[in-house]
Amino acid sequence: MTLEHIFGLTVSGLTVGMIYALIALGYTMVYGVLQLINFAHGEVFTIGGYIAASTLIWIGVDATTPLAVKFAYFGLALLVSLVLTATLGFLIERIAYRPLRNRSRIIALLSAIGTSIFLQNLLVIVFGPQPIIMPTAVVPTGFVEIFGARIRVLQITIIVVSLLLMALLTWIVKGTRMGKAMRATSQDREAAEMMGIETNLTISFTFVVGSALAAIGGFLVAMYYGSLQFNTGFLYGLKAFTAAVLGGIGNIPGAVVGSLVLGLAENWGVGLNLGVLAWLFVGGLLLGLYFQLVRAPRFRIDHIAEEFRTPAYERRVRDVYRFAPVVALKTLFAERTDALLYVSAQHAVRLTAANVILLGLAVLFFVNGDVQFASKWQHVISFAVLMAILMFRPSGILGEHIQEKV
Amino acid sequence: MANPFSRVGEVFGRVPRWVYVAAALVFAIVFPMLESYGLMQTLWLRLGTRTLVYVLLAVGLNLVLGETGLLHLGYVAFFAVGAYSTAILSSPRFDLQWNFWLIMVIAMLLAMLFGFIVGIPSLRLRGDYLAIVTLAFGEIVRMTLNNWEWLTNGPGGIPGIYPPVIFGWVVDQPAEFFYLLLVVVVIVVALVSNIKNSRIGRAWNALREDEIASHHSGVRPTQAKMLAVVMSSGIAGLAGAIFAYYQQFINPTYFLFMQSVIVVCMVVLGGMGSIPGAVLGAVALDATPEIIRQTFTTWLPRAVGSDFLPAVQAALQTDFDRYRMLIFGLVIVLMVIFRPEGLLPNQLWRREVHEEDPREIEHTRQHLFDFEEGRQDLEV
Repeated sequence: MTLEHIFGLTVSGLTVGMIYALIALGYTMVYGVLQLINFAHGEVFTIGGYIAASTLIWIGVDATTPLAVKFAYFGLALLVSLVLTATLGFLIERIAYRPLRNRSRIIALLSAIGTSIFLQNLLVIVFGPQPIIMPTAVVPTGFVEIFGARIRVLQITIIVVSLLLMALLTWIVKGTRMGKAMRATSQDREAAEMMGIETNLTISFTFVVGSALAAIGGFLVAMYYGSLQFNTGFLYGLKAFTAAVLGGIGNIPGAVVGSLVLGLAENWGVGLNLGVLAWLFVGGLLLGLYFQLVRAPRFRIDHIAEEFRTPAYERRVRDVYRFAPVVALKTLFAERTDALLYVSAQHAVRLTAANVILLGLAVLFFVNGDVQFASKWQHVISFAVLMAILMFRPSGILGEHIQEKV
Repeated sequence: MANPFSRVGEVFGRVPRWVYVAAALVFAIVFPMLESYGLMQTLWLRLGTRTLVYVLLAVGLNLVLGETGLLHLGYVAFFAVGAYSTAILSSPRFDLQWNFWLIMVIAMLLAMLFGFIVGIPSLRLRGDYLAIVTLAFGEIVRMTLNNWEWLTNGPGGIPGIYPPVIFGWVVDQPAEFFYLLLVVVVIVVALVSNIKNSRIGRAWNALREDEIASHHSGVRPTQAKMLAVVMSSGIAGLAGAIFAYYQQFINPTYFLFMQSVIVVCMVVLGGMGSIPGAVLGAVALDATPEIIRQTFTTWLPRAVGSDFLPAVQAALQTDFDRYRMLIFGLVIVLMVIFRPEGLLPNQLWRREVHEEDPREIEHTRQHLFDFEEGRQDLEV
């Protein structure tokens, strides 16, 4: 395993991470504004890529086209895709989400999932079930040698384009009136409306921006892998959502950080094609989690005032520790009012969870050894990470930025 | 009340409910006999059996989605757990042929255990995380079935599942499976409707309507939600076990994400929180597409000559599944926008989704008045 190899994998991890970020931003912005998981976002991403690719196919670019013309065509395809996909995002919000805005959340979620299914199958009916092939003529093919690793020009392009887009988005959110309106709407829609902000317009704008970013993401993926399939968006959408939750939902920098972590983790884990390294990474994550879990609770029995420390009370607390797993199971359901017992019981839950994790680690190190193991289980690992985050730190790495409705 | 449909609804509403239940049961009992007297192709009997499996799934999912108001998108995972328990314990793959009853119990318990595992991280969080966790869980289960070749034989699936033997009765004909499933459906529906009208069912409905208020009224949210998820997982496990026996061969492609969506669609179409609705939704969404396909590809061409709308026929033969899913997606969106209470609504849920409609408020008031005067039972 050479350093160049690792560097190459890091670059491809960053590339994939950037693409995840472009999609995750759409999820996180919509979640911030509407507290709605926009299930149709993955389909918007695929449709963006399909439109760009089919525009290029329709124009008919080939290797003989001069470079300047290629660039013009490329820009045209991007423009068409951006306009159509942004319109689609606008329409989705207008038709499927807006009539349901004051209804219960599950209704809006159902509408989102219905929209997603509808769009995916519409895509198959229009374009057929076979993957759409990106014309290779517009894809940059060169290589650059950095630190001895061969990096594709395309990868650099993707990273640079994504960084530019993120800078643009940051400027929109932080520096413009519309961005201010977005932030206000996501903090409190009613109050924003009272202050004279057109919340409907703001929400539409959020969808348009999110869809445009996803469309560019789709275009970049189509170029990177050479083709797109109708169900590509499902997996990418799920992964990007995982990334958004990992970074803290509703939090724009969080979405980017989460995406990069996920992209790097996947590429290091799978690309090195060594079970041991992949598991070392996952194992490291889990170990970190372990140490966080076994930390002492904030106050223990000796911090309690003298007059409350009756022998009976101390015995109860000791029992909680002694039967940690049993108490852990019990506390999953208990809503206790007894503060001291609650804290020690929470600690018991943490101890048990930590032990389960250690056991899992031991099993992992015994099981691996199959070289193909990591690549076969890649997606399973990603989803397991999602479930683990939700279990132990649902607010994500950078914390979530949403307003909880009561 | 100018709407002509509401007049029709009133007429049908006056017929007592037991008449409908009896009619449905009689139809279900007679249905396989049509096949054995040669009045119907076996195809339709197979369709009917599959529909009963979906009825079981829809009734089970209704506990979570309809009664408790949790969007569960990985329901097919528990179905898969049940199906694979049967396939592993009663097939030549490991040369096992365990007892039918034992397998039913194992399939249910295993599915319930998985439901519990999914519930632990997700039920304590905000409601919409459940959707994504269950979705991810469904994918984890499917990918595990695909990759864990030692146990499941991967994408190849497990063929040759032995037919079940129940007190010496070897169930291997389509009609026999139909009756077996019918008995299971009747038992499950009876149990579920009892639970629905019990303290637990009311706790679920209270949680669906307002979690914080119900928590303060003494409902334990996590516990009640967990109960719903575990029970519905058990029903899915049961359905899966019987499905595997019936199918005799299973592989991971039976347990795609789309299957979960179809079941969600059935519950939404029929009416969330309504058991008759769930049954109707399952029958409508499973049988109708097949009837449409048969109409266009077999019956109409036979009636008017073979070149009837060749384009439609070709489209139905190649892309039928896609059109079906397209329409399912549309059905979900249209239903939640225009008729969120479903086709056969549960009264409580109907009032909840129309709580701002003045006619509904008037109806509720009138109803409560009638109830207090002793003229009418409290409808739930």
